Amino acid sequence: MSASTINFFPASILHVDCDAFFSSVEQALRPELKGRPVVTGRERGIVACASYEAKALGVKRPMRIFEARKVCRDLVCLPSDYETYSLYSRRMFEILRRFTPAVEEYSIDEAFADLSGLRRLHRTGYAGIAWKIKEQVRQELALTVSAGLAASKILSKMASKEKKPDGFTVFRTSQLDRILDRMDLERVCGFGPNTVALLRKNGVRFVRDYTLRPEAWARGLLGKTGAELWHELRGESVYAVETAPKDDYASISKCKTFTPPSGDRDFVRAQLLRNLESAFIKLRRHGLRARSLTVFLRDREFETVGLEAAWDRSTASTVEAAGLAASLFDRIFRPGFDYRLTGVVLSKLESDRTVQYGLFDDVPRLESLRAVDRVIDSANAVYGKHALHLGTGLWIARHRQHLTERGDLPSRKTELLKGETFRQRLNVPVWQIKV
Amino acid sequence: MARSIDFQSILAKLRHFYRDAKRAPTFSEMKTLFGYRSKGGVSVLIPHLVQRGIFRKDAGGRLSPGKLLEGKIRLLGSVQAGFPSPAEEELTDTLSLDEFLIRKPAASYLVKVTGDSMTGAGIFPGDLVIVERGREAAHGDIVVAQVDGQWTMKFFEKHKGQVVLRAANPKYPLIRPQNELVIGGVVVANVRKYH
Repeated sequence: MSASTINFFPASILHVDCDAFFSSVEQALRPELKGRPVVTGRERGIVACASYEAKALGVKRPMRIFEARKVCRDLVCLPSDYETYSLYSRRMFEILRRFTPAVEEYSIDEAFADLSGLRRLHRTGYAGIAWKIKEQVRQELALTVSAGLAASKILSKMASKEKKPDGFTVFRTSQLDRILDRMDLERVCGFGPNTVALLRKNGVRFVRDYTLRPEAWARGLLGKTGAELWHELRGESVYAVETAPKDDYASISKCKTFTPPSGDRDFVRAQLLRNLESAFIKLRRHGLRARSLTVFLRDREFETVGLEAAWDRSTASTVEAAGLAASLFDRIFRPGFDYRLTGVVLSKLESDRTVQYGLFDDVPRLESLRAVDRVIDSANAVYGKHALHLGTGLWIARHRQHLTERGDLPSRKTELLKGETFRQRLNVPVWQIKV
Repeated sequence: MARSIDFQSILAKLRHFYRDAKRAPTFSEMKTLFGYRSKGGVSVLIPHLVQRGIFRKDAGGRLSPGKLLEGKIRLLGSVQAGFPSPAEEELTDTLSLDEFLIRKPAASYLVKVTGDSMTGAGIFPGDLVIVERGREAAHGDIVVAQVDGQWTMKFFEKHKGQVVLRAANPKYPLIRPQNELVIGGVVVANVRKYH
């Protein structure tokens, strides 16, 4: 890229990051919590998200809830209500899409939006569009977001971290020299602790030191990613905003904690198989099949053991995988140990569109397994996820998922509206005000 | 087997886009919209859409929204041959209950009514009202508002330029906000479910 083009904003990428997302949603729906220290994650006993008020008093993530309560006596500890957070997340992306179709849903509370070429449409500069987005989110969701605007994704993400909460920072390409001059290497997402240590050894102290080296040097030291970051940090966009919904998963994993830890074989196995069911539902929703299955268990001491097995042909069948998962489970489950988490990982994924049967495959049986999956998916579409499940799932009812204290379920799941069930609720957030 | 194109769903997607963006989508936007893998697929589709009046093509070959997209005529469904079935004709322009009750999905919230201050307007304790945030209140709207720290649901009225909140129940006096008035949202619908 020639030097002249980088002076007038070659690309304009906005990174939007919600401030203390989970606790801010709670505060938006329960006005009495505004201005109070709030944390979510009570059902796990670990702070998942702390509001700015709680952070100011010294509560950090991932503190244990009882430690957080010691630090801050009036702390409001709420169970996570992921369903409502997801509704808010979807709404935030919807607001962004009103401004540009090029939106990448980066995580539940973060997005990249490519604003290039939209100035005329919105009759304002890139910064003006960013302010409009912030204002719409504030009006409609009562949330604040921090935004960063720059010529590349990496820079825009660094910019949005510059000022939080409710901040907006522009990294102009023409001013990058000044901005990156004294900036610590840890600020670059993509530079982990090991990379930073390696760079320091090579005499790189600040981000600008890195961008001043030749590209070949960056590639030599850190490989392809290093060279990509080198360009991104110089304001030359390499990473595109990926608008397509993620369908090319390298792997799909599902894991869940339960408290207190349990040594009950049937219960732990049921937990594992429930994760397997969830993973296969996701697998089929994305039109994929898996060739490899990993199961793992984590015990009370956070020691994790896992085992991987592969099929000679890919599968999308829950029933077919359940037998394999159960036998892997039997080989890693140790009686006398208490487990707190189970998980499964499906990998070596391929598209469901091309199915290659093996010579010795029992095709009628495989076809009937497919039919079973179709029944499972369509029944669950009507009656809610896991309404139709494997028989082993019944053991889950032996213990509740989280048994520490009362109030571990979000109020949205306990105070149902007329016509709602525990499995299916209205897809509109409930604003908890007394009128 | 000949591949049939679901024009109804394509039209629904285009209408949705047109409603939000007030312009025809670009080829690459249509590619995403219809879930095609290439813009070539879109270009094959375009003549059909023009023929059906979903798009218009001007002398320069540019696309603009056609009569169907602007919603001026009814879509007669995607019938291969013969006369359009009356059932399809009747159903293409209907609203779901969702769309009927909620105008702005991203800004709408449910509020469960607990008080009796709006019984005169037919809103009773236990009702579920849909509140739209960020909408400017007009005289006569029912609003959810915070007055001096307290949340309330009242008629929003302007008396000689001054905002007053009026209950639809003689038990409650007129509220003339003294210090602070925050309009949280405007009540756009009330849902009462019996079964």
